[in-house]
Amino acid sequence: MRQAVRAPTRGTIDRTGVPGGDDLLRRDEYGRALLGSLIRAQLGATVSVLGPAVLLLALYPLLAVLVPGLGRDQVIGVPLTLVVLGGGIYPPLVALGFWYVRRAEQLERRFGELLDDR
Amino acid sequence: MAAPLSVGAVVVITVTTAVIGMRGMRVARTPADFMVAARQVPPLLNASAISGEYLSAASFLGIAGLAMLEGLGALWYAVGYATGYLVLLATVAAPLRRFGAYTIPDFAEGRLGSPRLRRWATVMVLVICGFYLIPQFNGAGITLQATLGGPYWVGVVVLGVVVTTGIASGGMKGITVVQAFLYWIKVTAIAVPAVVLVLAVSHPSFGTVDGPAPTTFTRATLVRFPGTTRMDVSRPVTVRAAGTVDGTRVHGALTLRPGTQVVAAGTSLRFPAGAPAPTVSPVTGSSWSSPLLHLDGRHGHPLAATYGVLLATVFGAMGLPHILVRFYTNRDGQAARRTTAFVLLLVSTFYLFPAVFAVLGRMEAPALYLTGQTDSVVLVLPRIMVAGLGGEVLAALVAAGAFAAFLSTSSGLLIAMAGALSHDIMGWGVRAFRLSALVLGMLVTGAGLLVASVPINVLVGWAFAVAASSFCPLLLLGIWWPRLTRVGAMWGLALGGGTSSLAVVASMAGFGGTGWSALLLGEPAIWTVPVAFAAMVVGSLLTPGAVPANLTDLLVTMHLPERLRRGPVGGAEQVG
Repeated sequence: MRQAVRAPTRGTIDRTGVPGGDDLLRRDEYGRALLGSLIRAQLGATVSVLGPAVLLLALYPLLAVLVPGLGRDQVIGVPLTLVVLGGGIYPPLVALGFWYVRRAEQLERRFGELLDDR
Repeated sequence: MAAPLSVGAVVVITVTTAVIGMRGMRVARTPADFMVAARQVPPLLNASAISGEYLSAASFLGIAGLAMLEGLGALWYAVGYATGYLVLLATVAAPLRRFGAYTIPDFAEGRLGSPRLRRWATVMVLVICGFYLIPQFNGAGITLQATLGGPYWVGVVVLGVVVTTGIASGGMKGITVVQAFLYWIKVTAIAVPAVVLVLAVSHPSFGTVDGPAPTTFTRATLVRFPGTTRMDVSRPVTVRAAGTVDGTRVHGALTLRPGTQVVAAGTSLRFPAGAPAPTVSPVTGSSWSSPLLHLDGRHGHPLAATYGVLLATVFGAMGLPHILVRFYTNRDGQAARRTTAFVLLLVSTFYLFPAVFAVLGRMEAPALYLTGQTDSVVLVLPRIMVAGLGGEVLAALVAAGAFAAFLSTSSGLLIAMAGALSHDIMGWGVRAFRLSALVLGMLVTGAGLLVASVPINVLVGWAFAVAASSFCPLLLLGIWWPRLTRVGAMWGLALGGGTSSLAVVASMAGFGGTGWSALLLGEPAIWTVPVAFAAMVVGSLLTPGAVPANLTDLLVTMHLPERLRRGPVGGAEQVG
């Protein structure tokens, strides 16, 4: 017989007996509203990170079409395309990634405090 | 020509991989050990393993070769491969880990409550991985043949035996450490030669790369033509020839006159230092450093082609079955996020270097254009540019890196396939996993022996486009859109996966010609990704009754941090 694998949680505090956030969120309309606000907040963080990334990736090729000389431009003797695609584009992408991690963890911490206040 | 140092380096990599993999055998006891390393892998180690698995031959050899041939716009592939992890991080990493699904079929059934959807997803996993895996074996055979000498089958069989026995014995626990090790090998093997070669350029003039391609021979160069080649000579040049040029057998000095010359297969020409290199049409000239993708000038729509590749690579990364399996080895959702951020960092670091080989190859190795071997630029450039022992050492390093790329990606793909087959089809257990790995390993090795040449970039690009048009919308909508239903998901998988596969098969078979039709078939992601999303949304809106009854529970499981839950969440270790 096939069995679905689901995750056990390890290394978490045993809160058996204490009403957990999961019970709270599925209990009533208020709980579901809380859940909706958590998901919306997370989506907001996602959009605020992916928005700049999409602009960066989509606008540069578009700029190359609108400004045909762009490919021939050079930065201290190195073609601009090499400077951007060969390296320059990565630091902002990586920075966005780590910034998202911080933002999402902050958001979850605040949501936890909100639940604990109840 | 067999180079002893390169042979040695490949042997060392292979043996080390096998030994580290075997060590896992002693600790792997339960099915969970085998498949997900018991979820105890810390973020940086896991990130190294994911990066090791992700950087295949297409990244190690293909990007530099394609950029050297088609222009710097080909670097968008690398940018897309890296950005895929930013999207994965910000959309699916934490919720997918919290949901606790081990494979995409698990997620499909768990989230939408449809065993039928699971079976379709499983079939797609096997197909995507299979087509991704065969070119890896093929590439290994060709690489060993080209750099080390010896027959084609040696590389294929060595790869097959090492990968299959490693996985069948150690499972995921051993493989995690191996993959992490192979990432660091790969990054060293491309970074060190890149830095040394930049320093070795006597008179760096990167500004000249944009001239009519290719430039001049910086040193006396013997060019062997593997196939009949039409080349355009711009200025008269006297070479030492052995073979047939323009229908005439020549042996000795020959002056090539301006115009088109036909060089017969097997001919070799020795160009003196400083000679202008003939060009082979259609090599792009002035557009080489344009930041757009010019694939042999076939499309004539470079902006659309660039967007097509970006869509496929950015959204395809999250739908690759062998990568998603790894997220389950994180301790919790927060660890999954941190792991993904590190992957983005590690993969981006790697992609700083292929561009170096592309530019140096264009300046220093014009012979590769003439012989159509730009794909091997990473492997051969060290020996061309650095004479003596130094060049041999660097060549051994890149050979080791290339083989590391074949080993790591093949292992990851085989684990994903064996996992899907044993877990989703055969019913799961250590014995089923081992048996699946053995059978699939032998099948793929056999397929690798049968195919003489598979265009690796086409097949890898196909895997990305299909993943982006099927699993990507399933995951994104499944996690963030509560109204997704099993009917909508089926429509999306069928339409998106079906149209993208058909498009690529058609373009591989030679349909499409030129212009828009070539673009839409060759870079299908530009329309199949929107089609898949639209089908899932429309199908779901038409069947509101099929929304799972336990939707709230599912959303809580995906989005609520683990530490806010009560006791063990997501059921026990195994839920029927």
